[in-house]
Amino acid sequence: MDMSGGSAEGNDKSEGQRFSSKNKLTALVVDNGGVCRAIQTALLRSYGVETEAVEPGEAAVQLLASGATFNLIIIEMLLPVLNGPETARQIRAMGAQSKILGITSFFDGRQQQEFLAAGADGFIEKPVSPEIVIPIIWELDN
Amino acid sequence: MERIQMRRQLALMRQSFFDQGFLDEQFIQLEELQDDANPNFVEEVVTLYYRDSSRLILNIDQALERNPLDFNKLDNYMHQFKGSSTSIGAKKVKAECTQFREYCKAGNSEGKKDKLGPWRQHVAQGIDGRGQKKKQDLTWQNIVIDKSKIHTFNHQKNGCPSGITMFWFSM
Repeated sequence: MDMSGGSAEGNDKSEGQRFSSKNKLTALVVDNGGVCRAIQTALLRSYGVETEAVEPGEAAVQLLASGATFNLIIIEMLLPVLNGPETARQIRAMGAQSKILGITSFFDGRQQQEFLAAGADGFIEKPVSPEIVIPIIWELDN
Repeated sequence: MERIQMRRQLALMRQSFFDQGFLDEQFIQLEELQDDANPNFVEEVVTLYYRDSSRLILNIDQALERNPLDFNKLDNYMHQFKGSSTSIGAKKVKAECTQFREYCKAGNSEGKKDKLGPWRQHVAQGIDGRGQKKKQDLTWQNIVIDKSKIHTFNHQKNGCPSGITMFWFSM
């Protein structure tokens, strides 16, 4: 899955239009940083994606274990107790088909390998920007 | 009229933060997330950033006092600090975090107690972004004009990045 680019199709605020998902999409943000959680959640919601946010990896695992499903799950690398890759691993072990995007503050090749080996579809350095998110939403939408 | 002038002043101040490299385009993304449904989003997020940053800087201060230095702990704090700074568009803080982490990595890999030495020395000289020498002691400069203007906090301490500027708008 191409996480690196893609056109911000339809994202022209100056004409009063903003890119929005056609279908009802859902997302889960897993980040122990309040600022990051708030911004990522608001960004996804601005594109019409129903988004929940949790802080620890265990909460994400419990949410999915309880039957919740998400089209997209964004997971921070350095989470307390259950780290990002382990969270992704446990989510995949439950059979979840969600797109999983690993994120980090400092890009590291080893962390990328770890996340991808755990079942993530991509791994990026913050910030989670429209340039990253819009192609993902577009792909999920179509 | 006073309101118009104040708004103009705020707009100029805001632009100066971009011109001086304190903010990058990520802050504009943040502003674009504010709408009728979230009318105070920017202020809420920046306030949250300030609170979290204060806590993280305190943790870093305390970690820097330990002997030997726990580089893993420092690395984790910097990871969090950089993450939130990047997300909010605090460009200079982000750059300082990156530099700080480089020193942490160097210290950790060589097993030397104070590889932060060169970076500490830089800060100890109290050279801020304008190249002016300042005192080495801990000083909080809390310039509060009034609630409708920009609040700027400067944190300068030996061992911490000089010139970290945290701000929030209260419109």
